[in-house]
Amino acid sequence: MQRHYKRWRVIVILLLIGGAVVADHIDSPTFRMNMGEGGLETTLTQRQSQTSACAPCGAPCRPED
Amino acid sequence: MSASAETLQPGASNGASGHSSDERRADGFIVTVAVLGLLLLGALIALETAPFLVTLFAVGAVLGVALYHGAFGFTGGWRAFVVHKRSGGLRAQLALLALASVLFIPVLGTVEPGSAMSGAVAPVGVSLVVGAFLFGFGMQLGGGCGSGTLFTVGAGNIRMVLTLVFFIVGSVIGTMHLPWWLELPGMNPVSLIGGLGVWGALAVQLALCAALAWWVGSIERRHHGRIQQRVFAGPDRGFLSNLFKGQWPLFWAVVVLATGNLAVLLLSGHPWGITFAFGLWGAKFLQAVGVDMSQFEFWTWDYPALALADSVLVNVTSVTNFGLLLGAMLAAGLAGRYNQASSGRIPPRSLLAAVLGGLIMGYGARLAFGCNIGALFSGIASASLHGWIWFAAAWVGSLLGVQARPWFSLSNN
Repeated sequence: MQRHYKRWRVIVILLLIGGAVVADHIDSPTFRMNMGEGGLETTLTQRQSQTSACAPCGAPCRPED
Repeated sequence: MSASAETLQPGASNGASGHSSDERRADGFIVTVAVLGLLLLGALIALETAPFLVTLFAVGAVLGVALYHGAFGFTGGWRAFVVHKRSGGLRAQLALLALASVLFIPVLGTVEPGSAMSGAVAPVGVSLVVGAFLFGFGMQLGGGCGSGTLFTVGAGNIRMVLTLVFFIVGSVIGTMHLPWWLELPGMNPVSLIGGLGVWGALAVQLALCAALAWWVGSIERRHHGRIQQRVFAGPDRGFLSNLFKGQWPLFWAVVVLATGNLAVLLLSGHPWGITFAFGLWGAKFLQAVGVDMSQFEFWTWDYPALALADSVLVNVTSVTNFGLLLGAMLAAGLAGRYNQASSGRIPPRSLLAAVLGGLIMGYGARLAFGCNIGALFSGIASASLHGWIWFAAAWVGSLLGVQARPWFSLSNN
């Protein structure tokens, strides 16, 4: 089978993306909460406490109506 | 032949499609890398976040496989109808909207006010119309819509990587301008479920889908004498071969995409979306290089502000997108076609079209509250008026985009 790509490029690109994801996560309140830090608002705590849905479409969140 | 757009022509010759006589071997390296990627990222999400996000990641992967093996692109389907009067892709999209309406509307009709679940409903106004028009224009230059861009990137299409990068740039600029656009005339979201009830809304939606399918089919019949039976065509090489190596009959893709979107709604509380994450990724990059994003109103709103501060691994749209990328990579590897669409030289004007198309789509998607998935598919499935208006405005933009393609060395054939 003829390949149209270089294997090392695929691996390097995926490692770069994976590294960026991990770096972003380590810098996040969710990670700090997982490490035992308290009193933080995270996406998951916001999800549990929200009383009205806020769709991730970019429209401003509507108050409960 | 452009190296990009043909990957998005549903069912036509493209980087995603297979042929009955073309038995390809799976690309073991790509399949292994994709499976390892799915396992590692899935494990990280499981360790650090919540079980529903792991499931969403898996759903995203299935959606990526369906988009790739079904070669389910909105852009190519619209262009095939405009240029060649072939309506198979468009009728498949209408079947998708009809099935999704059947799945979504009864569920959304039972949701109590104040519930943590809602459909994709958004305001109707100048911002929506202008944004959808721009998106329709840009997707013909970029070579793919929101989902098309993402699954072809996952399948290793180099030109579409360029489209995606500038899609992200356009999305971030769009977030900076969105509050200004929202000051222009418009009205609050309109839900057909709220106005007509569950069964009334469902009847109107199904009637609209059927009428449009009949209309585009009649135009195809007038030009070609008969309608291509593509939507409900069966597998051409045997069930398992088509299932794993592609190409999927369009109806398979329709069923998986509709049920996948319902799964996203039930798991996350919101229907499937793609492009919010593009703006988020761009904003995170700018923030990482020292830009204070809180100076922009959009990034002070509750949902975007917390998404920006928190991990992408807890952002529903990002997690689904990651799954989709790896799912498309897996499917391309199984089909033995990874990166195939990038073979050969890409004309400079085609690259310019990728840049402009990506920028315009990104900007338009933010103004219009999403792309063909978040606004068109999820919006119409949610019986939101903005979804139908998005469809009409994007169609007009797409007509102009099809006219502009030859200037950028992009074939309409």
